[in-house]
Amino acid sequence: MHIPILTIPRLYAGVIAQGAVKDLALTVVSTIVSFILGTLGAAGRLYGPWLVKTVIYWYVEIIRGLPAILQLFIIYFGFTQWGIDFSPLTAALIWLVAYGTGYGVEIFRSGIMEVPHGQSEAAAALGLSRRTTMLRIILPQAYAAMLPPLTSFVVLQLKNTTLLYLVGYADIMYQARLGTDATEQPGILYLMAALAYLIMSLAIGRLGYRLERRTAAYR
Amino acid sequence: MQAMFSAWVQYLPQLLRGVGVTLELTGLSLVVAVVFGFILALSRLSHIRGLNLLATWYVEIIRAIPVLILLFTAYYSLGQLGIVLSAMQAAVVTLGGFYATQYGEIFRGAILSIDRGQTEAAAALGLPSVAIMRRVILPQAFFAILPPATNQLSNLIKDTSLVFTISLADLMYQTYSALSLNFLPMDMLLLAGIIYFIFYLVIAKLLGRWELNVQQSRS
Repeated sequence: MHIPILTIPRLYAGVIAQGAVKDLALTVVSTIVSFILGTLGAAGRLYGPWLVKTVIYWYVEIIRGLPAILQLFIIYFGFTQWGIDFSPLTAALIWLVAYGTGYGVEIFRSGIMEVPHGQSEAAAALGLSRRTTMLRIILPQAYAAMLPPLTSFVVLQLKNTTLLYLVGYADIMYQARLGTDATEQPGILYLMAALAYLIMSLAIGRLGYRLERRTAAYR
Repeated sequence: MQAMFSAWVQYLPQLLRGVGVTLELTGLSLVVAVVFGFILALSRLSHIRGLNLLATWYVEIIRAIPVLILLFTAYYSLGQLGIVLSAMQAAVVTLGGFYATQYGEIFRGAILSIDRGQTEAAAALGLPSVAIMRRVILPQAFFAILPPATNQLSNLIKDTSLVFTISLADLMYQTYSALSLNFLPMDMLLLAGIIYFIFYLVIAKLLGRWELNVQQSRS
């Protein structure tokens, strides 16, 4: 069956937009969770006991050293060998959070390290507790310093969602591939998918830039 | 555990055949990315407005689109326009074209980091602009390029795993075809993971340490 190319945007815009919403939702949720876990991980990596430091170090190296697809497949396919079956959505979430935490730890660690040592010394001289120093002095400045890498990290996570069609999660890519099988018009469908990602990536970049300008006062 | 090791021994040769393809693809893509990246960097630094704008737009757009969509566009969509690429050609064009943006930005940053006085002094001595670039700027920029370039190389090797989606018989493809026949997904994925991780350690750790030594011995 040959479908005229110009009718395809009308036919598929709806499902691709639905896929985009699903991808964006996963990106937002996993970013928030990785943000929290990444902060804890960075604190453990910097201030924890030796064993905690080593475990977190190797966790980060493994997440950064293995291809994204391989990690996703270990969670979705690998665990079935041990009798653990995850649904596509669960596997997607576990992977995005595990991956995001690995990168998050590194981003937070360098953010915290970028705050000059004099800041914590000054806080100690003023008699602030370690907890207050961390929460009120170090972290606000660290978060401001982290914004540029954090923005590119969110874009990376968004782009990572393209892999989720491989485990059957019905995102943009999944719809584009389904459409390609039905219409034999890959050109226009992948162009639509690319546009959807382009718009979302640029919007995230814009948002990050605005936040950067707002938090410039903290630096 | 014993069962896992015997499965590893049995399937290692098949996976190693994929490693050859992965390395070939990495090498070819790296050459394309470095050459094209250098052209992009020079275009973005040039004063010819059209060239500058074209390169800037290319970098901004390509970086905002997931590599997988670029790959499908090169492999399926270009075919619709009569440009039929083999899986290997499509993969090299995609990975080379994408990583050119990463390398281009690294080169541009390194060239910009060289003090303007160097260019001015060389111009005052009457050196033509090609010689200024080749004899004065690039030798100094080279060592600033190495660490981020190595980092991108390890990203490139990981991203070659995407090509299994267009049936190019790389390490990921061999792993996937093995696990879909023997139903030992975890064993196969872990073996592939070890191989990918060795590449990562060699590139990121050994090469990174060597570069640090070179840099320290020069300063």
